[in-house]
Amino acid sequence: MINLKVTNLKKSFGGLEVLKGINFEINGPELIGLIGPNGAGKTTLTNILDGAIKPNSGTVYLNGERIDQYKPYQVALAGLGRTFQVTRSFRRMSVLENLYVPALAVGEEQNRAVVHEKAMEVLEFLTIDHLRNDYAQALSGGQQKLLELGRLLMLDPDVIILDEPFAGVHPKLMEVIYEYIRRVNDEGKAIVIISHQMDAIFNLAKRLLVLNYGDMIADGPPADVKNDPAVIEAYLGVDEEDEDELAGADQS
Amino acid sequence: MEFSGFFWAAVFWMAGWGVIGSIALKRRYLHRDLDTSNTSMVGAFTGAAAGPFALIPLWIKTPRLTTRYIVLPVIATVVVFGLFFAKGDPGNICVTNGTFVASQFVNGLVIGIIYGFMALGLTLIFSILGIVSFAHGEFYMIGGMITYFITSVWLPGINPMIGVLGACVATFTLGAIFERMFLTPMYEGKIDRPVEYGILVTFGLAFTLQYFVQATAGANPVKAQRFLSFPRMGLPSSEDPWLMKTSRGSMELFESVTISSPRLTAALTCIFVLLALLYLLHRTWTGKALRAVSLDREAAAIAGINPDRMNMLAFALGGMIAALAGSLLVQAFSWLPQVGAIPAMRSFVIVVLGGLGSLPGAFFGGIIVGLVEAAGTGCVPDPQKAASYIPAYGMIVLTLTLLLRPTGLLGRKYASATHGQN
Amino acid sequence: MSRQHIPTAAGAVFLLILGLFPFVYNGGDYDYVMHIIIIAFFYAILASSWSMLAGYAGQFSFGHMGFMGIGSYTTALLLHYIHFAPEPTSICTEFAIGGTYMIFVNPIGVTSTSLAQDCLRQAMDVWDGSVPVSDVPVWLGIVLGTIMGGVAGLLVGLLVLRLRAAYLALFTLGFAEILKATISAEIQITRGQAGLETPALFENGITLFGRVYSRTDKLPPYFVFFFLMLACLAVLWWLSRSKFGLFVRALREDQEAAAALGVNTTRYKVLVFVVTTSMAALAGAVQAHYVGIVTPNALFLLQMSLVVAMAVIGGVENFVAAAIGAILIQFVLELLRNSFTIGSVTIDMTIWRLVIFGIILMLTLRFTRNGLIAPIIEYFHRGHVAAETVAKRAAATDKDGVQG
Repeated sequence: MINLKVTNLKKSFGGLEVLKGINFEINGPELIGLIGPNGAGKTTLTNILDGAIKPNSGTVYLNGERIDQYKPYQVALAGLGRTFQVTRSFRRMSVLENLYVPALAVGEEQNRAVVHEKAMEVLEFLTIDHLRNDYAQALSGGQQKLLELGRLLMLDPDVIILDEPFAGVHPKLMEVIYEYIRRVNDEGKAIVIISHQMDAIFNLAKRLLVLNYGDMIADGPPADVKNDPAVIEAYLGVDEEDEDELAGADQS
Repeated sequence: MEFSGFFWAAVFWMAGWGVIGSIALKRRYLHRDLDTSNTSMVGAFTGAAAGPFALIPLWIKTPRLTTRYIVLPVIATVVVFGLFFAKGDPGNICVTNGTFVASQFVNGLVIGIIYGFMALGLTLIFSILGIVSFAHGEFYMIGGMITYFITSVWLPGINPMIGVLGACVATFTLGAIFERMFLTPMYEGKIDRPVEYGILVTFGLAFTLQYFVQATAGANPVKAQRFLSFPRMGLPSSEDPWLMKTSRGSMELFESVTISSPRLTAALTCIFVLLALLYLLHRTWTGKALRAVSLDREAAAIAGINPDRMNMLAFALGGMIAALAGSLLVQAFSWLPQVGAIPAMRSFVIVVLGGLGSLPGAFFGGIIVGLVEAAGTGCVPDPQKAASYIPAYGMIVLTLTLLLRPTGLLGRKYASATHGQN
Repeated sequence: MSRQHIPTAAGAVFLLILGLFPFVYNGGDYDYVMHIIIIAFFYAILASSWSMLAGYAGQFSFGHMGFMGIGSYTTALLLHYIHFAPEPTSICTEFAIGGTYMIFVNPIGVTSTSLAQDCLRQAMDVWDGSVPVSDVPVWLGIVLGTIMGGVAGLLVGLLVLRLRAAYLALFTLGFAEILKATISAEIQITRGQAGLETPALFENGITLFGRVYSRTDKLPPYFVFFFLMLACLAVLWWLSRSKFGLFVRALREDQEAAAALGVNTTRYKVLVFVVTTSMAALAGAVQAHYVGIVTPNALFLLQMSLVVAMAVIGGVENFVAAAIGAILIQFVLELLRNSFTIGSVTIDMTIWRLVIFGIILMLTLRFTRNGLIAPIIEYFHRGHVAAETVAKRAAATDKDGVQG
């Protein structure tokens, strides 16, 4: 059973409190959207979960294992994978080699033939198997997003954090990525999507976490969150554009 | 003259507390959730200067580490080290002979100005192009060679100014041509790893230039005539010249500090050119454009500045600055095709110390390295060893900088060594 | 034979020629030619290990020759200063180990020309041949030299962990410079520019294939270097094919992304330093015994420039190409040695060849992405892949729209 438990997580940078005691829990293969205006602390939260920075206080448990003091690679091995806001494929390695890296790093299966087979399965699932021997830098932006997703599938984590998975993706490809995210979720992985594109979040997520100035101001189903006065105020008070996003999500 | 055990014990004590200080203070500040950007440096120097006596109050009170907390421990460390040195080796010339110390100090300062000036070229190239030029020493060498050939071989007796100008023009052209031919693909995204490409291709240029000069000019050391001979005089009077006494090649101040004419003219010219450069950078359109590109390439391009042209200008100007330093020093040192290696290393040290990309940082860094080298060559008991270790003094400074303050003294904007991708 | 086997076959033929060459060749300049090839092997080890460090792992270290120097000086100092005798000298620092005495010779610097002033010589004069004095075996010196190189690599690797690109290059260059300065300055111990003499690889000669070779014969060291090079290439090949190779390339491309995918980037970065620096130290240690003397000159920037240029011209992202590049360039540089005269101007080719070499280096960097030899290998290896991809891609475009 997948369980990610974040308790009273605090982080500040030289006196500026970026996270003021975050609490939430993920149970089972949930599909969660993490939203919040700019500067709400989404990136900091992701970086703490990922191990890139250490929290000042608070704990993170993944399946009963405490991971908040882990290094990034230990977090990845413990079962939490992430993508980056800007696509970060290994540009001068072939698509297949990109996929081998996490599989061999996890180290459960060192047999190259088995790893290769698994990689081919992932590539076929993502329909980019015809590009398998191309250098990643030859891929289009959308294909690189798929490749990043593929690498995560090879890592086979329990919890996946997708940081802006739709940024710079062609609208035609958006639906395709939705579909993949849903299918990965159906396979039993918890997914957290961080995005500014509200329509995408509302389209996908079954639960929303809303951050504002380091506080978790709402946690619940999208329909409830949308009408939450605190959320509306946060978006109204801070950023009109984001408010439009909320409105746009209303219509969809 | 052997160093006593006392001296080494003192060094060990300082180094030990320095290490403890830098680590402990950083942890403490991290734990207390305070700004840790200066903790390593403050901790190291406070520990080295005063050991636990100053570290413990700092550890308890954790004040905000302003400039005061950085500068005072550094000065204290130097003073304490000096005291230990004096106690450890009381017979050393640096302890017994105040005149010698003053002379070393002034000469360190003078040569430091020239070092800083040369490093300025390197940092200028870095701030605009984002690459470290490994050919900097060769530009320096070529500057000296051209000046030597113009003033002593081709047109003997000509005004040395012509030689210096000739070197500047030639190296500026060379830098511009090289930049056009070899560095342009970097900006067009055609190179996978531009930083490494920049290092390697300038490395290739250095190699080529060095052997080209050796093939054409030979491998024998040459030296130019000094550019300027002082008029013989004494101040306040030639009978009692306690204030200043000059001979043709050098001048003596206060009957103690001797500065040679080549060094003095070089340093003065450097200061003059530096002022001109500052004027160029701050008062002219081209200079403002250069600075704009160094701050934000894209924004500058939107504002109508052609960044490619600025790249060319920066590389040519940077190389020319090194060449100018060389052409001024060819009258002071004997010149070989290999002469550029040590000044190049020294420039690297200076720019890292000052902060990669920071112009004032390069200048102050140069003076610090000049003083450190003067102290090192003057005070280490065995003069032959002292001379051999010259590159090492700089490297110790470099290592300390990278460990304690990777951004350098004045580097802020231009990221640190750890994020030095651009 | 399909196309991707051509490089393998060509490589096999090349190695076969190199393996048979000492037996087949019988020109008058035999020793000279052999010497050139031995040095070529030496550079091949350095260039290929540097290509693993710089090309695969992206750590552009300019201190490779420093590590080589650590290897050669470790073995030279060890053999120079430590000796064994069954009886105490009573004037040297010495320790009894079982029935033998481990004797530390006191450093005498270069002031004495007769070399007769150190304590062991004096004792030996007294003994007058009655007590056998033995040295540290050469192989042990080489092994310890390699280990020392690896340890230094470990320390430097840990120090530069967080440094990138330009800073790494500067720091490693500085490391090599300090080392050179120290060796040049500590004349008392290292004898400075005068150098330390080392015993030959096979001081007492060796019998190979039923023939006796003396210590100055070139054939035994030829095969020592030949097999050393093959061993290093084999290790590099194995590493590049294992997950090590994959991981170091991943951390070259994007360290944070690699860490986020579970790669222990710290470990692999340090490991690649240790492996490549011990190879450089190994080459240096063996070469010290082949040449018979170590001097700080070998650490000069020229040598580093040669290694970098060889690797880059061969192809820095392919260690085999780097090794081939090193061998070919060594040959070409030797062939270009002959100076000639046009009219009244003598062209001193010993210098001009390096100018030409530098220009080739710059042009290679400018116009090819991965050297001159690597693309040829790549062409044969990946040719079929490209064709296949084109076909697959054409088919896929018809099928779906995921072509962004």
